[in-house]
Amino acid sequence: MKTLIKYEFLKILRKKSTLIVMAVSLLLTAFLFGLPILQYQTYNQEGVIKGSEGIAYAKGQYSDLAVPLTEEYIAEMIREYQNLFENPDNVGYNGNEKFLIGDAYWEFVAPREKLLNAIAANYDAPGENTGLEKLPDLDMTNAAGFYQTREEKIEALLNMPSRKLSDAQKIYWSNMNSKVDTPLQYGYYGGWEIIISSFELFMFALLCVCIVIAPVFSGEYQTGTDAVILAGKYGKTKLITAKIISSFLFGLIAFTLHVLIACGLPLAAFGMDGWNLPLQIAGTTIPYPFTFMQAVLINLGVIYLILFAMIGLTLVLSANMKSPYVVLIVLVPVLFIPMFLTPNGTTGLYNLILFLLPYRATMPEISKYISYQFGGFVMDALAVRAIVYTILTAVFIPLSRLGFKKHQVSA
Amino acid sequence: MELQLQHLCKQYGEKRAVNDVTATLSPGVYGLLGANGAGKSTLMRVICGVLKPTSGCIRLNGKTIEDLGERYYAQLGYMPQDFGFYPDFTAREFMRYMAAVKGIDKRKVKSRTEELLHMVNLTEAADKKVKSYSGGMKQRLGIAQAELNNPSILILDEPTAGLDPKERVRFRNLISDFAKEKIVILSTHIVSDVSYIADTILMMKQGQFLLQEPMDTVTDSIRGKVWEFLADNRKAAEYSRTFSVVNLHHENNMVRLRIVAEAAPTADAYTVEPSLEDLFLYHFGEDTQFERGEEDENID
Repeated sequence: MKTLIKYEFLKILRKKSTLIVMAVSLLLTAFLFGLPILQYQTYNQEGVIKGSEGIAYAKGQYSDLAVPLTEEYIAEMIREYQNLFENPDNVGYNGNEKFLIGDAYWEFVAPREKLLNAIAANYDAPGENTGLEKLPDLDMTNAAGFYQTREEKIEALLNMPSRKLSDAQKIYWSNMNSKVDTPLQYGYYGGWEIIISSFELFMFALLCVCIVIAPVFSGEYQTGTDAVILAGKYGKTKLITAKIISSFLFGLIAFTLHVLIACGLPLAAFGMDGWNLPLQIAGTTIPYPFTFMQAVLINLGVIYLILFAMIGLTLVLSANMKSPYVVLIVLVPVLFIPMFLTPNGTTGLYNLILFLLPYRATMPEISKYISYQFGGFVMDALAVRAIVYTILTAVFIPLSRLGFKKHQVSA
Repeated sequence: MELQLQHLCKQYGEKRAVNDVTATLSPGVYGLLGANGAGKSTLMRVICGVLKPTSGCIRLNGKTIEDLGERYYAQLGYMPQDFGFYPDFTAREFMRYMAAVKGIDKRKVKSRTEELLHMVNLTEAADKKVKSYSGGMKQRLGIAQAELNNPSILILDEPTAGLDPKERVRFRNLISDFAKEKIVILSTHIVSDVSYIADTILMMKQGQFLLQEPMDTVTDSIRGKVWEFLADNRKAAEYSRTFSVVNLHHENNMVRLRIVAEAAPTADAYTVEPSLEDLFLYHFGEDTQFERGEEDENID
């Protein structure tokens, strides 16, 4: 079996097309995930700071912010913002809104703009996004507790009529949310933020793997080698297993290379900082009790399962179609049509299916409260995706095996 | 060892490519003859288990090939017509890959591969990629892979197609070497190829076996029906239109004709010893223009 796997793997690897597709896809991934690094820029009073210098500057500013976001700390931040606002010399007005300017901005807001925005967003009503506008008017006398407000906001989100969540789903999310540890630990998470917001770019890596393995069976039909191998002792048994294993092996290696580049570039440029920080510092209403690294690893795990199912689907098509091109004609729309379909909510059959399709399923959608209910049993999107794609893989593998085994060699 | 083909049929829509073929084959070389489209390749694919018959079955020593499964394929060597290779593999890699597909004992793979590459005279080119091979080299590699597992049943579909005369002779000798104590089914439409090496002739027309006869006696049925005579050019043209002419040979201003006919085409025609080519033409007559073209080239 090892020999068969070795040669089947070689057959995939030796093709010029494999090398070309892999090279293009890796370069594209490097470009797409490297773009935020190339385009990164931050500001200080002297102007724009770009690239690695800018990153170092931004990280430096976080050194004082890497603290637990206690009620006291947050209240202190808000009060300080409000105090600065009381001095008219610090306030600018653009006809629309008021904001801090001059030293007040550069010394207080600029170094902690992201944190202030996160705090301010917590006090926005669901669906509202007022930026820092709300902070000056926040009533601090009754000490509107940050975490109490967060809980109330999540409650309001879950009860929004447009979400159409069942009681069981609301309980599911509330329970999950209750596992979020407070106070939240704050800090720098630039690298992880890029990865979490760019998962859909892995579609190109998925496509690359599918293109390369499309000829695994159909290539035999196309070149006319099917007759010889199917007439061999293991042609309808071990060889099929070897083809399937080598396809998955190639997919795993090729995709992991993409993952290393995609995650490696932002983490190398922005650092690993933030790996152990909670997701909620990027959005306080996120219900998943994960750190940034956990979220990335879990979603990567889901994407690997999508990859396996797509490899399985490619193999089924390859075993049943006469040419790798026909395989791709069917496969590419499956992968990319969902890209052009927009969800109109987070519930309803259309949306729930859309969130399971390959393109959408690569996105973690961690703040959307997407859940699936089966009777009284509720699961979140990540879990359902993992289950669906595992089942699909388990179904596709025997189907591809059967397709090749039953293949009829005709003129 | 006995390979039984029992009422094999293969139907594509309305057309029956193989139509109720029944035969019992024991070790020996079987020359499967027939015009293009006679159903030879389809029958061979069915025998090799890569094409399911619409009805009928194949038994090896009494057991169906479905029941035998891998045990049947382990005894099979198949060289299909125009089969492809993996262009990026060297011949040696291809042989070792096929050895793995055929489940050959790992300890024997290396020596068997080298032995066969030597036999088909590819040792020196063994590390070159197959995409750089000539047609003849590919054919030789094709038979080498078919022989890898020293099969008891060797199926060769048009193995000499596209080869030049020298390579064809070489190929015939190779097949003869490989054929000992095996059931070898060799399909071709080049009649002379099988006449040298076949023990039995299986002639196929419209999906059916027209005859199954030992090579020694296969032409008996047309004994006394093969004629030769001299005619002038004008008469020769007339005879060509009327009779199945096996051969035309120009001698001075005259043409020597070899004709297969029930009765003497002319008073001065005399009977000659019938050959397999005569038999082929006798049965396939006018619907085998292509094969006759091939044969003209061979007969002269």
